[in-house]
Parts: sequence; C-alpha cells; structure tokens
Amino acid sequence: MWTWFYKLASPPYVYSLAGAFAPWFFGLAALTLGFGVIDGLGFAPPDYQQGDAFRIIYVHAPGAWMSTFIYTLMAVAGAIGLIWRIKMGHAVAAACAPIGASFTVLALVTGSLWGKPMWGTYWAWDPRLTSELILLFLYVGVLSLRPAFEDAARGDRAAALLAIVGVVNVPIIHYSVVWWNSLHQAATVAKFGKPSIDAAMLWPLLSMLLGCMLFFGAVLCVRLRGEVLNRERQASWVRQALQ
Amino acid sequence: MMTHGSFWEMGGYARYVWPCFALAAVVLAWNVWSARRYHAAAQLRARRALIMEASVGDEQAS
Repeated sequence: MWTWFYKLASPPYVYSLAGAFAPWFFGLAALTLGFGVIDGLGFAPPDYQQGDAFRIIYVHAPGAWMSTFIYTLMAVAGAIGLIWRIKMGHAVAAACAPIGASFTVLALVTGSLWGKPMWGTYWAWDPRLTSELILLFLYVGVLSLRPAFEDAARGDRAAALLAIVGVVNVPIIHYSVVWWNSLHQAATVAKFGKPSIDAAMLWPLLSMLLGCMLFFGAVLCVRLRGEVLNRERQASWVRQALQ
Repeated sequence: MMTHGSFWEMGGYARYVWPCFALAAVVLAWNVWSARRYHAAAQLRARRALIMEASVGDEQAS
C-alpha cells in the first residue's frame, strides 16, 4: 500500500510523474479559473456594503490562502528532507519558494488596493497585514539562503530550518483577526460553521481557490522537474530521460 | 448580470478592481514563464553535462 509513497523519494519517478501531471493540472486550472473569473466578475451580485469593490476577493483571498498553504507545504517538505534526508523533500521545498512568494505579493498588493476604498488607506500596521508581510520576508529569506552556501546540501538544510521555524507565522496570520483588534474582516469561508457569504458569491470564490490550487500543482510540477534535473545531472537515468 | 458599461465601471471602483485582476494575471503568467524557463535551463545544463562527459570518454578512448 505504501509503495507509491516510497516511490516519491525516487528522482526519476518524481521527474516522470511531474511531467505526466503538469498538463492535466494546467488544463483543469484554466477551466476552474476561467469559470471563477467570469462568474465572479459578471454574475455574482454586488455586496450590499462594499458594492463591486468586493470582487477583489476573487483574487485576494485565493492569493492569501495560497501564500500560507504553499509556505506550510514548503516547511513540511523541508522537514522531510531534513529529518529523513530525502533529497526530493528539499527539491519540493526549493520549487515551492518562488511560487509562494509571488502569491504573497499578490495577496499584499490586492489587499492594499482593497483597503484604500474600504479603510481609507493602502496600508496599516494591522496584525493581519503585518504578519502577511512577515511571511513575504520569510519567503525572501528562504529564497536567499539556499544559494548563499557553496555546498548545496548545506544550503538545503539551512533553508529547511528557516522554513520550519517560520511556519509558526502561519497560525498567527490565520488567527490574527481573532486574537487582536484588526481592520481586516474575520474568516468568511475557512471557519467552523456555515460560510458567512451568499452562495452566489461563494461558488466563484471556491472555483478560484480550486483553480489556484490546480495552477500551483501545475507550476510546481514544471519547477520540480527543473529542480530534479539540476540535482541529478550526473545520474545515469537523466541520459535516458533527455533522449 | 451587469450591463456592458457598468461592468467596466465596477460601480465606481474600477481603478481598484481592475488593477487587482491585472496583477493576478501577471502573477500567473510570470509563474508559467519562470517555471518553464527554469526547467528549460536545467535541461540545457544536463544536456551539456552529458555532451562533456561523452567527449571526455572519447578522448580517453583515443
């Protein structure tokens, strides 16, 4: 039963698996993101308080969700690489970092553009905004730390350690709106009980979230293939894979 | 559903809504471009390493 799991530690298996999954993920992501954008911009009703400005949620919330999800995955993959010395763990962590950083920038900038008409300011040192900014700094740290070492294995270990230590920021981001007084609204979907959003607004949001997950899967597969090749350049299977 | 005119105006919030969607498109496009470029560069490096290895093997044989 667990054979498939052990296979994930094998570079040639991961390389071919990522190549097989990537086009499916890209195709499904295009469908779900396309539906989400059309439904969210054209058919969802305007919010009774925020009017059409609420439509920013369809890019802001998936961006913010992806930023924390990818960071957590990066820390878990780094921990697998660090504890069990599985090279593919470090490869996944390295592939996650630039994608996660880009989604964090998306969350911060779209949040700022949403904040101006709703709060009257582009930026406030609010707990949610500040903890999300710290997440961006953590991504930048992980991205900078790995190539800072001449020995690639040491760079992997240092980046994994930073990612693991920084994962403490993920629950802080999520609960910042509960623990402290915040300008930011409380959770709408990711909470216990019924989502506090109308179904007509919720479906495009869920579609965008799913689309971003699939999109992440697709670009992770492509990046991971590059990571595996960079790490396994001398291996005999690479010759066969490239022919 | 919105009318064509009101769709682009976004209820007066067009200058906040459209830049957000434009940035999302840029982030997605950048991710696709950079991931493909990263993979292509890795393939190129691996191919060069294989060619170098083959040429060193030929020199040793001769």
